[in-house]
Amino acid sequence: MPTHIVIALLTVYSMLFAGSAQASLKLPETVKVDRAALTSEPMCDPKISPAWREAQEIEGVKIDASPGCSPDNPAWVAAAVKGTNHISMDTLMKTGLSPDAIIKTDDLDGDGDPDRIVIKLEIMELNGKSPDFPGIVPTFDIAPGIQPGAWVFAPKTSGMSTENFESVRANPLLRLPSPVIRVEVGDIVEIVLENTHYFPHSIHLHGVDHPFSHGEHGGQDGVPQTSEVELMPGGRRVYQFQPRQPGTMFYHCHVQTHTHLAMGLAGMIVIEENRPNNWLQTLNIGGGHVRHPSVAVREQFDQEYDFHYHAMDKELSEIVQKYNDPRLIARDMNQRYDLTDATEDYFTLNGLSFPYTLRESLILVEPDQKIKLRLLNSGGELIAIHTHGHHATITHYDGVEHNPMAQIMRDVFDMAPAQRLDLKLETVNDGKHSYGEGDWLIHDHREKGITTNGMAEGGSMSSIVYKSYLGEDGMPKVSHFGIDLSEFFTKEYYERRYPVWQDLDEWASLGSPAGQTGFDPATQTSLLNALYGLLIGLTIYFVFAKRERIKKGFSAAFSRLKSPKGSNE
Amino acid sequence: MTKMTFTFLLAALMAISLQSMAQEPSKQKDAHDHSGHAATQNDEHDHSDNAMDPHDHSGHSMSQQSGAAVDHAAEHGAVDDHGHDHSIDHSQHDTQATEHGDLHHHHHMDHDHIMDHEGTMIMGQNLDKLPSSCKSISEEVEITVRAGRKYAAKFPGTAFAFDQQQWHVKPCAKVTWHFVNEDNVRHQFMMHGLPKYLYKYGMFHLEVTGPKTVSGTIIVPGSDDTFLVHCDISHHMEKGMKAQLVVGKGGDDIPSIPGVTPYNINDSYQAENLPKPSDKAEPNAVMRQITAFTNNNFRNYGMMAIGALIGLLCIPIIRAVAFGNKGN
Repeated sequence: MPTHIVIALLTVYSMLFAGSAQASLKLPETVKVDRAALTSEPMCDPKISPAWREAQEIEGVKIDASPGCSPDNPAWVAAAVKGTNHISMDTLMKTGLSPDAIIKTDDLDGDGDPDRIVIKLEIMELNGKSPDFPGIVPTFDIAPGIQPGAWVFAPKTSGMSTENFESVRANPLLRLPSPVIRVEVGDIVEIVLENTHYFPHSIHLHGVDHPFSHGEHGGQDGVPQTSEVELMPGGRRVYQFQPRQPGTMFYHCHVQTHTHLAMGLAGMIVIEENRPNNWLQTLNIGGGHVRHPSVAVREQFDQEYDFHYHAMDKELSEIVQKYNDPRLIARDMNQRYDLTDATEDYFTLNGLSFPYTLRESLILVEPDQKIKLRLLNSGGELIAIHTHGHHATITHYDGVEHNPMAQIMRDVFDMAPAQRLDLKLETVNDGKHSYGEGDWLIHDHREKGITTNGMAEGGSMSSIVYKSYLGEDGMPKVSHFGIDLSEFFTKEYYERRYPVWQDLDEWASLGSPAGQTGFDPATQTSLLNALYGLLIGLTIYFVFAKRERIKKGFSAAFSRLKSPKGSNE
Repeated sequence: MTKMTFTFLLAALMAISLQSMAQEPSKQKDAHDHSGHAATQNDEHDHSDNAMDPHDHSGHSMSQQSGAAVDHAAEHGAVDDHGHDHSIDHSQHDTQATEHGDLHHHHHMDHDHIMDHEGTMIMGQNLDKLPSSCKSISEEVEITVRAGRKYAAKFPGTAFAFDQQQWHVKPCAKVTWHFVNEDNVRHQFMMHGLPKYLYKYGMFHLEVTGPKTVSGTIIVPGSDDTFLVHCDISHHMEKGMKAQLVVGKGGDDIPSIPGVTPYNINDSYQAENLPKPSDKAEPNAVMRQITAFTNNNFRNYGMMAIGALIGLLCIPIIRAVAFGNKGN
């Protein structure tokens, strides 16, 4: 029996020793995330008809080709150019707009275009809390799986706030950013704010020539401390103005501005030069490519893009997802949220972050083109937009033309909060304006600007893509460089659950290590030591307990050794 | 004897000091009560003075107009699908569509979708098609539903509401809804869960930018059931604009209808440290001196008295222990 125990212990010991020797020879295996385990989205949104990309004419409105993956709905463009009061019911139904969303009448100066423009805006919440189920509604993703609570000025819509009764996804008209507004110098413009939101709001027309007070409508600078009281839920207010100066301007809510602006109540407003037959695309919903540019822009440029940069704080946007009671939301936003302790987490271009910017906000160019870029920074910090492969010329600061003799070219454009820059981008391959064709990045060079909640690649990054580098689906052609962008179109990537470099080589040299199997080396050593001790202890006990036997054994052995001698004697 | 009187005295002192301590909270209570009264009074005033009067007028005049509209539409329904262009009332156009001076307008209709140039909409109206579960129309009812921010006043923590949160009709009733939007924004009266063979997507939907009325008619099914009614504009339902139509004995209640059914998901509330008038209510100098004296001194002396009392009560025990020791 005792010999059995001793043998067993010895075996265990030797096995453990062998095991530990082996473990220290090899580190844990690499575990590769199976692509099938990711919620992959198609890179280009399949809901959008490819026919939308083509140049076309609707209701007599010429709509430029827009070969990107998700171009603007051509019916939106037609409605914005003609006004919802001048289009067929069929076209109107394709827009989802209310029939009184954009009313254009009265050619006051007799130059062939309407000069009385009424634009109706509502205020909509995106990604807010529901008291009925644990999710949020209506949902709007700025990047895969990223759904920050937000508020927007939305063109007046008709019908539901979601795609349909079964879906919680927002109606396409309800989206970030607030729409770009375009009116002409001399137009009599009425922006009618219908406050459909549960909080008070206003509109401040930053940089737009507007009277501080209007005889009929009262104070209209949008500021509750100077010109007007807050517009309560369910209320309507008209902001009327007749701008005398052109330029790229800014409009935003001025109630509790430190939170309402960041929540998304901010948009670009462009005052175009007065020209004959200048039917403007009054709204550029979602910003980006202008598919029906003004006469003045067409005179000088081949294309025009509206680029609205914005930033949001996760903690702020979560407040509307934390409570349903408006009193609690108001308390947390107005009294508890401290902007001076806050940091921005989401950086968007035209309401979206990379990779969705690739769907909507690429600058699609051909060689030797002149492109007008209108940039707005509605974030809370200075940004530094860098164009790879190009130097562009700053033509306007804050809507005012810079002295043409003194205009400068740069490749980093710093923009203070609320600032606007008009750029002239020339795709002339001379080593200065452009270095030639390619898929050239355009991004905020504060490096956090290319992250989404700190996770790169994200943020407001987009590209200047030459036609020869554009794929058929409207996404940049990158596969011939061996590049695969599909991991960015998964929510797991932004949940930080995909090892970013795992697919750079076949054996995933920079993949994720598996966890330790069994004990780590240190524990193993101490366990072995404990076993040594146990073994020694047992031996001592064994010796002590059987000392009589051992003695006898020894004496027997001695006597046996002696006895032959003795017998011999 | 002297011992007894002493203890009584001490007890009295204690009672006084306790009272002085308890005074503060009771004062607070008073203040609260008052503010409560004030608030309810304000509410009443709001209703009678501001809101009701002007709105009522517009409401009435509007509903008269749209009453005509319904008749109009009803005729068309009878003639079947002819003459869609006439389906929405022209009276509304003439009297009030002139805010922006445009006279262009749209009329849109598939058989169940009518919309005017201001986005006033009737969808899924059913004037004459009997549900399969009905042999005949049981009753004809007209219900006026008012919608607006002011109706949320009686439900704390909401922003928009209908004037009523539930309506009862008999199975197979023909119901004409007069939807009076009293706000200056869009609202909807959207009903879900109706039989899909009669109502596209099972929906009946009225939509109008106020202040204005729109009317539409449905025939409800023949079985007991409860239907969701809400406004689908982002967060109008979530923030209170939700109700139910109970047919007959009704079916399962719909959650989170203000004042009718509880929320599925509730917020948590904690009272806040808000400033109160009593915080800074300053008594006059003499009173302040007296209360300061009583508050501080009585509290101190009271505690001393309690200590003394305990000491006195302990004397027998100490004695017993002491004498006991001596005896030993």
